[in-house]
Amino acid sequence: MALEGNVNEAAQNLALGIGTAIGAIGPGIGVGYLIGKTIEGVSRQPEMRGELQGLMFLGLALTEAITFYALLMSFVAFFIGK
Amino acid sequence: MRRRLYALAGPLALALALPAQALAADEPKTDPTKEFLLEPWIKIPKIGPIDLSITKGVFYLLLSTTILLVGTLLVVRHLRLHPRKLQAFVEIVYDFSETQIGRASLPAKTYTTWFPYLATLFLFIWINNIISYLPLPVDTEHEIWGWLPTPSFYAATSNLSVTLALTLVTFFASHYVGIQNNGVRGYFKSWFPPISGPINILIVPLEILSQLLRLVSLSVRLFANMLAGHLLVLMCVSLIIIIGNVFVAAASIPVAVFFYCFELVLVANLQAFIFALLSGIYIGTAAEPHH
Repeated sequence: MALEGNVNEAAQNLALGIGTAIGAIGPGIGVGYLIGKTIEGVSRQPEMRGELQGLMFLGLALTEAITFYALLMSFVAFFIGK
Repeated sequence: MRRRLYALAGPLALALALPAQALAADEPKTDPTKEFLLEPWIKIPKIGPIDLSITKGVFYLLLSTTILLVGTLLVVRHLRLHPRKLQAFVEIVYDFSETQIGRASLPAKTYTTWFPYLATLFLFIWINNIISYLPLPVDTEHEIWGWLPTPSFYAATSNLSVTLALTLVTFFASHYVGIQNNGVRGYFKSWFPPISGPINILIVPLEILSQLLRLVSLSVRLFANMLAGHLLVLMCVSLIIIIGNVFVAAASIPVAVFFYCFELVLVANLQAFIFALLSGIYIGTAAEPHH
């Protein structure tokens, strides 16, 4: 089957969409696990809430950033070579 | 509380006026990614490969520096025993950066030397992140009434050059502190595991690689977070123009407002804190290696 139309542009669009989507899976699992464990910890020891929350936000920022690495690389694929 | 809500409503309404820029254009097309192009406002001739022209990014850097300098000078020149609002706020920020960033990451012997650097880093990135979400008339591509640039978002920290420069300072500072405290041999020896043998061949490249990857992770984290945050809000608003139907606004504007609040309240503060804290941890671990 021959492909008609601008295959290059189609591939770039797909790269942006699929790259971002796949890149969001891992951090999504990670953020869910992180917050779930924090809730577990707080329910076990409510007096540790403040400390755990601080650590949670630290981990949140570190985990969440991985999504943006994927997004960034997808943008590179999308914009470079146009 | 109500007064604060009113104060928030101003910037929000301005932010939502952004599609006006696209309506003002001849063709009904908008491209949010064009907001991140840097066109020189005041051209300064190049010195070799270095271009020192004043762009949007430079303007934001100067603005944040001015806010910091004027704000702190105002407070420091009239210190009171019973602090007024501004002084109380600055004291809270100082207390936060001392307990949460400085004491949390630096060992006692490097604290006095490097805490000022971390606090400066935190405040600089924080102010940059916060003012980047205020719509300021910086978009020179479109103009209202022929002279006023349309309000737009831009963050100096959504430019990789800025974040990479800050990261390079931290990178060299950490090695400087490591060599200063442990000596050249002692510091580089701490990169080797205490066990000897062929396993070193595996671990030492990994250690060197992780040192270099800090440059990437630290700079790209801040840069990509700010870029994605701005792009998300701009994209939600521009969707009305891109799809070309006014009723899309009913769905996309609430989403834009939600992401705007999320980015301004959580991400902008958190990323500044993380950048300063990780810089402190890198400097602190270089000063007192675990091995």
